[in-house]
Amino acid sequence: MATQASRAAGRLMISPAVIVLFLWMIVPLGMTIYFSFLRYNLLIPGDHAFAGFENYQFFFTDPNFWPALINTLLLVGGVLLITTVGGILLALLLDQPMFGQGIVRVLVIAPFFVMPTVSALVWKNMFMNPVNGIFGWLANVFGVPPYDFLSQAPLLSIILIVAWQWLPFATLILLTALQSLDSEQLEAAEMDGAGPFSRFFHIMLPHLSRAATVVILIQTIFLLSIFAEILVTTNGGPGNASTNLTYLVYSQSLLQYDVGLGSAGGIVAVILANIVAIFLMRMIGKNLEA
Amino acid sequence: MGQIELKGVTKRFGDAEVIPPLDLQINDGEFVVFVGPSGCGKSTLLRLIAGLEDVSGGTINIDGRNATDERPAQRGLAMVFQSYALYPHMSVRKNIAFPLKMAKMSKAEIDAKVDHAAKVLNLSSYIDRRPGQLSGGQRQRVAIGRAIVRSPKAFLFDEPLSNLDAALRVNMRLEISELHNTLKTTMIYVTHDQVEAMTMADKIVVLQAGRIEQVGSPLELYRSPKNRFVAGFIGSPKMNFIGGAEAAKYNAFEIGVRPEHIAVGPTGDWQGRVTVSEHLGSDTFLHVETQHGLINVRAGGEVGVHHGDTVWLTPDRSQMHRFDQQGHAL
Ligand SMILES: Nc1ncnc2c1ncn2[C@@H]1O[C@H](COP(=O)(O)OP(=O)(O)OP(=O)(O)O)[C@@H](O)[C@H]1O
Ligand SMILES: [Mg+2]
Repeated sequence: MATQASRAAGRLMISPAVIVLFLWMIVPLGMTIYFSFLRYNLLIPGDHAFAGFENYQFFFTDPNFWPALINTLLLVGGVLLITTVGGILLALLLDQPMFGQGIVRVLVIAPFFVMPTVSALVWKNMFMNPVNGIFGWLANVFGVPPYDFLSQAPLLSIILIVAWQWLPFATLILLTALQSLDSEQLEAAEMDGAGPFSRFFHIMLPHLSRAATVVILIQTIFLLSIFAEILVTTNGGPGNASTNLTYLVYSQSLLQYDVGLGSAGGIVAVILANIVAIFLMRMIGKNLEA
Repeated sequence: MGQIELKGVTKRFGDAEVIPPLDLQINDGEFVVFVGPSGCGKSTLLRLIAGLEDVSGGTINIDGRNATDERPAQRGLAMVFQSYALYPHMSVRKNIAFPLKMAKMSKAEIDAKVDHAAKVLNLSSYIDRRPGQLSGGQRQRVAIGRAIVRSPKAFLFDEPLSNLDAALRVNMRLEISELHNTLKTTMIYVTHDQVEAMTMADKIVVLQAGRIEQVGSPLELYRSPKNRFVAGFIGSPKMNFIGGAEAAKYNAFEIGVRPEHIAVGPTGDWQGRVTVSEHLGSDTFLHVETQHGLINVRAGGEVGVHHGDTVWLTPDRSQMHRFDQQGHAL
């Protein structure tokens, strides 16, 4: 788009799409903001009186709010840590020439195709269940008492389940990045006297940094709103041990039929997501430039 | 020191034998050029010497020490790649310092060496830039800088100038030759450009399909090629080959005459019609259609011959090359 005329025409052409996208975003957001200022409970019919910041006050003073906030950050951070480190290691492994490479790659990607509810249930019932699960069985084989993952380390268990789902995504993106590394660079480093570890840290890791940034940004957006895995495994419990913000909004608005309070929680979650996004962009977004 | 000796070195990729058993002696301080057509195994041979590929058989000795099983870094050689292979996320300074850092040198020593290399190669003004912000010639110099800081026993170059434009190529050619004169380090240089080979080499190794066709100084190869392949490969424009009855007159299966060894005149041995005449100022290249086929002639710059003219050609018999049926020189 070189000339002014063509640029103006370009703007005109894409404006319908932009307007639809904008409405698509702004209408639900506007309604949520509007509801969050009303006293609006489905069990109490009648007027929806204006409530000011009452809903927000309730949400922030809820004893579950701070634990939920911390759980959210732990969940996101834990999964990011496991998937990026694990993804890099798996990508290195899959990049090696080996027998049956194609099949192995498909197998590695498979978890990504499993629905979150299904995979969480599979983990809950077939792996982590102390009676029927494979971990419990293994513990019995070695003669130690089985560990009840979901009640004793609920948040960690959910982190593991979610990390298992997202590991393929990270691996796949990092593997393609790794394959785009010029082999002459590695050979040059080898001639320069760099051993395998130096080659990894000085050549491969910097090359992967951009792909890792993409992985982290995309995953963060999805991980902030993890819900299904919590619902089908722990229901946010025991107590509030595995309740994140999304789940807190759900339990307040739907379990208590309080639309106003739920909306306020939703807005808080949106604001939190934006804060996290700004931090991430500041920290690693510069990798995406140039 | 930088003496390299290959004894019976072979290389196979699966079933394909890319390099049949090959012997080669490279002396200390020599500038050796590997030339040959594309796919003849020049790069493979260089990578075998560097240690980036394993030999399938034979031994490689460096300074009298058996280096066949040594890792690339242990051999003490430095390589300049065709793609330069600079580290894109490091500044020029860090790129050049990388081999020294890997050798665990002290910071002060590294800085001194990098500054020295930068000065020798005129890199100082963009020492803090990234490779992406440099021109092709500058990148090439950084790659050379990264090679020289380690004071290697020998430099290995794999077609280092092929990504540069013609003018820059001439410049860099001179710079590399100068570098060799000052450092006096062994250099092995791969190219398929025979002008580079002729101008830079102390010793040229002509390869074809992994075999060494001839080893010698540029003038030796020009004056007395051992076979038809070398005769046709060295020299520009290419040697003219004539077979049949005309060659039989000279007791040969085929004769070869270089374009510069043919005289153009009103009378002579072969009559022909000029199809193209290229006036370069200093020279004129004539393409002459004769009864023996198309013959290239290099005449003086002032020759007034044009398209369609009929001319007579006389080869210089003392500079004529004769070949037998197998292409060996007689
Ligand atoms: N990794 C490999 N696997 C199988 N065959 C290979 C491999 N590397 C090179 N070859 C083959 O070895 C032969 C020599 O290759 P090489 O790269 O040494 O040629 P070259 O002389 O450098 O050619 P060019 O001038 O085009 O660079 C070629 O026929 C090539 O197909
Ligand atoms: Mg090559």
